Amino acid sequence: MFNDTLALTVRSLKKWVRNPAAIMPGLFMAVFWLALFGSSFNPLNLVPSQIGGTTLSPVLVQQIKSAMSSTFGGAANYITFLTAGVIVFTVIINMAYGGIDIVLDRQLGYLNSLLTSPISRASIFFSGAMQNFVKAMFVAVLTFVVALLLPNGLQVGAGFGILNFLGVFTAFALVTFGFGCLFSAVAFSVKVVDSLIAIINFLAFPLVFMSSAMFPLGTFPSWLKGIAEINPVTKAADTARLLIVNGNLSSSQLSTLSGNMLYLVVFAVVLAAIGYLIARRALKAE
Amino acid sequence: MTNKMIEAENLTKTYKKTVKAVDHISFSVKEGELFGFIGPNGAGKTTTIKMLTTLASITNGTALVAGYDVCKDPAAVRENIGIVPQELTADDELKGAENLLLSAKLHHVPKDTARKKMKELLELLELEGAAQRQVKTYSGGMRRRLQLAMGLIHGPKILFLDEPTLGLDIQTRQNMWTYIRDLNREKGITVFMTTHYLEEADSLCDRIAIIDNGTIKLSGSPADLKGKLGGTILTIQLGNGADISTALWGIQDVTEVTKEGETYKIKLARTETALPAIVEMVTKKGLKLFDIALTKPTLDQVFLQITGNTMRDGATNGNAYGQRVLIERLK
Repeated sequence: MFNDTLALTVRSLKKWVRNPAAIMPGLFMAVFWLALFGSSFNPLNLVPSQIGGTTLSPVLVQQIKSAMSSTFGGAANYITFLTAGVIVFTVIINMAYGGIDIVLDRQLGYLNSLLTSPISRASIFFSGAMQNFVKAMFVAVLTFVVALLLPNGLQVGAGFGILNFLGVFTAFALVTFGFGCLFSAVAFSVKVVDSLIAIINFLAFPLVFMSSAMFPLGTFPSWLKGIAEINPVTKAADTARLLIVNGNLSSSQLSTLSGNMLYLVVFAVVLAAIGYLIARRALKAE
Repeated sequence: MTNKMIEAENLTKTYKKTVKAVDHISFSVKEGELFGFIGPNGAGKTTTIKMLTTLASITNGTALVAGYDVCKDPAAVRENIGIVPQELTADDELKGAENLLLSAKLHHVPKDTARKKMKELLELLELEGAAQRQVKTYSGGMRRRLQLAMGLIHGPKILFLDEPTLGLDIQTRQNMWTYIRDLNREKGITVFMTTHYLEEADSLCDRIAIIDNGTIKLSGSPADLKGKLGGTILTIQLGNGADISTALWGIQDVTEVTKEGETYKIKLARTETALPAIVEMVTKKGLKLFDIALTKPTLDQVFLQITGNTMRDGATNGNAYGQRVLIERLK
């Protein structure tokens, strides 16, 4: 089963590598969110230095600013906060739209040729999810690099090292894999691209907006906050931020980190299982 | 021990309990046979292939393919079949050879064997020169040939060909026929094919079954089926009003005479003896032949007799098309 999954994943990735333009829409989206949306907004600039002609004490202004910064997880600027959120948003959208390839494989008859060969249905499903996953993670890494290169862009905390980087991308990978399985299962279940896009929009946007991807949960109304706190998008974005903003983690931060990671591992495993069950139903003889 | 490669009994497929795409068909295909399913679009050909290749579930009846039950042991069936679908499923971005080796891998063929088999197939199908090129540079005929190779790379016992020459020009089509014939005769591969080209079935198949509205109307060898029409038909036209019906009946091997005005339609059991005798008789009587035509029976005529439709009518038949659309929607 492993070899079959690998062979099919390689097939999709070969097609992708030979048509590199396919990656551009996903990457553009991420860059626009960071460079345009991210640069246009910096919450610290909202703190006034004077009110009604009265100059505020610089000490007070500084106190307000640092309080606001801690609301944003201690990020030096908004892009630093936003990067993790945009990456999670980007991988979700990339993965959702990556399902189009799966729908096309069905429409072009390729799926039938897989179904009539002696490979397990699980290979068909997981190769669909895996190729999607690899593409999305590639965009995630590029987005991270772009964020670092932007003027007044992503600023990692002192002591940010390779372990932090690996931690950040483990969090991204887990959330990507989980949603990758879900979206691939949806793609295997629909017959036309239109239905897929309708479902993507219905799932992807609420997932992202009901999370800390764009704004810290502190600003959310309580009903939304409750949902956002258990949203895996929040867990992944917060975990990545924790590692980006703080180079060296304190022991309480470490325990938050391991809690979040465990949550994300469970999430990925559960969604892989659910995805497989949905796909298996969709791949049954008609 | 059975030497039957396909055995279908009362095979039935109903979509959503209302639309009968295939209705209690029974047939068998022997090892080494080239068996054809012919019928118009929507007749049930593709649905039958789908059931035999484990893509569609069977509502009723049983089917054994390569000795395995399609419902109970689909995995074993998949090991033993090769399929060349109507759609072209080779990846445009991959090279011909890459497509072939991937097909082999998905059928768990060891690398060495796959390479050897690939070389053999590329040679047979005259694709050696194109193997290292991306499929998007291929012509329609080359794509079909590659598709054929992809269906054969794992050395299946039975090859399913669904409309193998759909959309090809006449020359390319005849080349395809040669390849298919060679594969069957020389490599001994059992072939189950569907087509709505009668001349294709006539030229290739050992045995055919005519399917319409989900049921098999008639089956046998093309020669048998044509024989049922009673041989060749000679049409002659005279210009001077004499009635030669009685004289025609007197000639050996004339089995039927119908007269319409000055035109006679004469069925001949043996053309080579009857035709000269008729011409001689007409000349002796001093009559003038205005026109003479010899029609060999075609499967088209067989089809017309059986279904009351010609294939061409059938192909554009509103009901058949409606049936296909309905099935697509119900899936």
